Amino acid sequence: MDVRFKIAPSGISVDESGLKFDISDFDGYAVEAALQIKEKQADPAASEVVVISLGPDVVQETLRKAMSMGADRAVQLKYDGPIHDSYAIASALAAELKGGSYDLVMFGRMSIDTANQATGTIAAELLGLPIITAISKLDIEGGRVKARRELEGAYELVECPLPAVVTIDEGIARPRYPSLKGIMAAKKKPLESKPAQVGEERYKLDKMELPPERAAGRIIGEGKDAVPELVRLLKEEAKVL
Amino acid sequence: MSASNVVFAIVVVAAFGFFSYNVQRLVGELQIGRHDDSRWNDLPRRFWNFLQIGIFQKKIFRDGVAGPMHAAIFWGFCVLTLGTIEMILGGIVPGFSFSPYVPRLGYEFYEFNQNVWAALVLAAVSFALFRRLTKRVKRLQGAETHANDPLLILSWIGALMITMFASHATTGIVHDLMWWSHALLVLGFLNYLPYSKHLHVVVSLPNVFLSNTSGPGVIGAMRPMDLESDAAVFGAKDVEDLSWKSLLDGFACTECGRCTSVCPANLTGKLLSPRKIVVNVRERLEAEAKGDHSKTLLDDFITEEELWSCTTCRACVQECPVSIDQLSVILELRRNLVLGESRFPEEIMPAFESMEQRGSPWAFDPGDRAKWAAGMDIPTMAEMAERNERPEVLYWVGCMGSFDDRSKKTTVAFAKILKAAGVNFAILGQEEKCNGDAARRMGNEYLYQMLAKDNIETLERYGVKTVVTACPHCFHQIGNEYPQFGGNYDVVHHSTYIESLMAAGRVPLREDLHEPVRTFTYHDSCYLGRYNDVYDAPRETMRRALPMLNLVEMPRSKDRGLCCGAGGGRMFMEEKVGKRINAERAEEALATGADAIAVACPFCMTMMSDSVKSRDSHVDVYDVAEVVAGQLAI
Amino acid sequence: MANTNVFAFAESRGGELRRAALEAVTAARGVADSTGGQVHAMLAGAPGIGGLAAKLAACGADVVIVVESAGLANYNPEAVAATVAARLSSGAYRAAFFVASAQGRDLAPRVAAKCQLPIASDITEFTVSGDAVAVKHPGYTGKVIQSFTLRAATAIISLRPGAVLPKDNAKAGTVEAVAPAIDPSSARVVVTATVQSEGAKLDLGEAPVIISGGRGLKEAANFKLVEDLAAAFGNAAVGATRAVTDEGWRPHSDQIGQTGRLVSPQLYIACGISGAIQHLAGMRTSKTIVAINRDKEAPIFKIADYGIVGDVLEILPVLTAAVKEAKKGA
Repeated sequence: MDVRFKIAPSGISVDESGLKFDISDFDGYAVEAALQIKEKQADPAASEVVVISLGPDVVQETLRKAMSMGADRAVQLKYDGPIHDSYAIASALAAELKGGSYDLVMFGRMSIDTANQATGTIAAELLGLPIITAISKLDIEGGRVKARRELEGAYELVECPLPAVVTIDEGIARPRYPSLKGIMAAKKKPLESKPAQVGEERYKLDKMELPPERAAGRIIGEGKDAVPELVRLLKEEAKVL
Repeated sequence: MSASNVVFAIVVVAAFGFFSYNVQRLVGELQIGRHDDSRWNDLPRRFWNFLQIGIFQKKIFRDGVAGPMHAAIFWGFCVLTLGTIEMILGGIVPGFSFSPYVPRLGYEFYEFNQNVWAALVLAAVSFALFRRLTKRVKRLQGAETHANDPLLILSWIGALMITMFASHATTGIVHDLMWWSHALLVLGFLNYLPYSKHLHVVVSLPNVFLSNTSGPGVIGAMRPMDLESDAAVFGAKDVEDLSWKSLLDGFACTECGRCTSVCPANLTGKLLSPRKIVVNVRERLEAEAKGDHSKTLLDDFITEEELWSCTTCRACVQECPVSIDQLSVILELRRNLVLGESRFPEEIMPAFESMEQRGSPWAFDPGDRAKWAAGMDIPTMAEMAERNERPEVLYWVGCMGSFDDRSKKTTVAFAKILKAAGVNFAILGQEEKCNGDAARRMGNEYLYQMLAKDNIETLERYGVKTVVTACPHCFHQIGNEYPQFGGNYDVVHHSTYIESLMAAGRVPLREDLHEPVRTFTYHDSCYLGRYNDVYDAPRETMRRALPMLNLVEMPRSKDRGLCCGAGGGRMFMEEKVGKRINAERAEEALATGADAIAVACPFCMTMMSDSVKSRDSHVDVYDVAEVVAGQLAI
Repeated sequence: MANTNVFAFAESRGGELRRAALEAVTAARGVADSTGGQVHAMLAGAPGIGGLAAKLAACGADVVIVVESAGLANYNPEAVAATVAARLSSGAYRAAFFVASAQGRDLAPRVAAKCQLPIASDITEFTVSGDAVAVKHPGYTGKVIQSFTLRAATAIISLRPGAVLPKDNAKAGTVEAVAPAIDPSSARVVVTATVQSEGAKLDLGEAPVIISGGRGLKEAANFKLVEDLAAAFGNAAVGATRAVTDEGWRPHSDQIGQTGRLVSPQLYIACGISGAIQHLAGMRTSKTIVAINRDKEAPIFKIADYGIVGDVLEILPVLTAAVKEAKKGA
């Protein structure tokens, strides 16, 4: 999403009027990666991709989109209030995942709204499953997950046995654009909605503010004489040097 | 009745029998195509097309050399067919002639014409053969052409004429020999046609009659798809998914190559050749009719790369002398790629996503749509509605006009003109969305209809009647394609609107008598020109604004104008192969020596100014609105 | 009585201390000073890692908990998380600081889950008061600033890299050797290799700095100037406009814009780029934008934080030298 935000009168949520909901970036990669794994199976029809989302009814739109990409069915863990505590969210997800006997559970590396980057990891720990986070490459070989994680200026190769949880970074696969065929098929796929079992929230959003407006472009000078001033500003004001 | 009459009667029956078998076979092949009931409406217009384009060869004459040549053969055929009928009847009924049935003078006129036209045809085919054999005319070349077929056919026609003259000029056994040769050549010719690209001879006239009709705009409108239907195939993957008329186009094509010779993609070295598209349709259809289901038109005959090269400029359709619609095949195949298989150049994904999410192909904030109007005191429809007011016109700004820095200058210029003319107008601001043209032309009918329906809902909510816009794509969509979804508005392009304001004396212009003479060249926008026949308004608008204007035309202008390269969604794709189309066009514009290039489309603006800039040229590119706004007396 | 001591995780890689370690210790020091407690920093790695303890002490660690094991040579998420969690559960800490680097982002939620504690991630500001911690965090990819309250006996806080700058504040740094809480070789998740990326070939999507060139560079050969500037930054990737990739000066994969890559680095330097809509669409969400262009009317200056009007060919070498100089000092 790349629209100007208006804060709702509550002060803790975004004014959603006029906004279109879509799968968040990292979850989109995760759905794509899941579909590719299914397609690589000897018998793709024998494996199932299930998408789960926790939230109010608007998430059904997102779930349908995932199904139009190719996911087989969807579960909405219905929760209407604002929720930001990764631990609470992960507990509700883990409760749902526990019964599913999934071989692989995939999360986006982080959400776009709160960007806690913690829900997948906590859910894995609650399920007692091994987890590899923020992976940019994924292979399943001989019952093991083989993944690559990007580090600052380096990368790690990481492995763990299945069943496992992974969280997905960008670069793994560009989400496919749903075909009209997919969109039509998704309308008929099962979407189950049930209440989320959310525990006590210990991390609460008090308020949201817009960051200061980007100051209009500032021309700091002409020619090469302006370079020292630029370097000073990059160092001291923008703090990027 | 002699034995020879009997033999000839049997030969004639056999020849016509075999021909009618072939006609049935071909009709059967056409029935492989999709049902299309839009081919019998507007009969007066169809007859007019039939006369103009068919009988009077209007488009044929667009080529000054091949035009008269072809017309001689065509009109000759029309005249000589009478003689052929007489000859055949005479072969069966001894001594048969038209002469007892017409006045003597009439029959003499008829006979004279037979000879004159036969001579003209002979001359024309000789010239045609000479041209084919000695000059390699570029448009007649191409891997998809059947190069020997024309030589055979031309020789055949020549032989027909020679044997006809010979039979007239001789007696006895030589006459009989020539007469029989001529008769057998005629009947053979008739039966050769169904197996040749020269089926053209028979199919062209019906094809012209059945072509898309109905005047400016609607000719270029795309067929709406029923997205709720449980169609197994979206768009077209193979011949059975195309309209039967597209299949008939395959029969009507004689591979003259005029379409390919004006195709901006082909001219700049891309793989696309509109002629090949049509030839492929016929080839694939014939294979399908023979029961070969192993291949499909898409991929096996026509590749993705060809399809995505098309700018949808309609030059091919415009140029085709027999009104073949190459473009609709391309667009139906694109629909299948996008809707059925999600196969498209990856760089258009952001445009699709952004149109869906933000109502603009660029990732800009819808809230910024009206930023250009800051401080100009221009109301939005919502603001007017709140005051219970309704404007004279809605100014539909468009995405380029709202977000692109260069186009915003055009937007501001046009708004200034409207204000100076005292027009009571409003904009939609944040409520405006992309018109969807690029999505539709890129095959994404689903996204297009979503946008079109949203926009129509907005326009209906405000009871909008008249829309004026500076973008030919918005103009074409809202005016010509939105009626498919119940949106009927009077849509005017800004060039036309400004001209009418000026004609009414509403635009206060500076009277500068010491104005220097300026030389402009105007680049026609495809969606304004070929799609909507608006050629004069932009030119006239500038002439009115600049009385001292010297307007020079590029070699390719008006309905022959070369596309800027941005149409059909090409704006959002890479141009990796061959020369850049905008470079080709900018060079042509610069070669006129004009000191400014005028455009009337924001996409043309981007393409032309990019290319002019990259040449380090100081020639300016202006929108016609800017030309007028520069002369405002305020 | 409320907990007073503060825990800091000291990140290392390949036996080298990461800057993140000093940031975590500095943050912890600030809190410990207000609660009157001690800073306990944990250092985990292959045998010998304890040698780095002094550096942590210099930033304010009272105690350095050293976990040495051959099985910790590569980052061992399960063993390290278990060891940190065990320590937090027994140590009565008011807060535990991590830095949301690639490693910290992985580790902190593991620890939170094992301790059944909530976590505050990617935090730019924090205030510890009584039983609550108030934190700030940019949400929606930086479009809003969110303020949260974290309520927990031990506040697990993962700081945005660079949010706290390391400060010298020397403390005792008493070394306390601790064994891993689980046998590192029993971990299910195994890092089999850590590979250094080639500095030059940073991906546009990952690079924190992008130097991008447009037609103002005049010819392909002048991209050398852009590459030199990127090299001076060390963490920069080179991008280009569509005009440039269309001309074949750069590969199409380098294109930034509507039809190319959509990027949003910390710093974007546009060299000789006028700022066509198609280019702006791909980079306007960059955090800091610098534009160098000859035409002062160019649209790029409207979105640039800092602009220099002038000949890019003349300015770039000077800027490259200045950046090299500045980097030397850092």
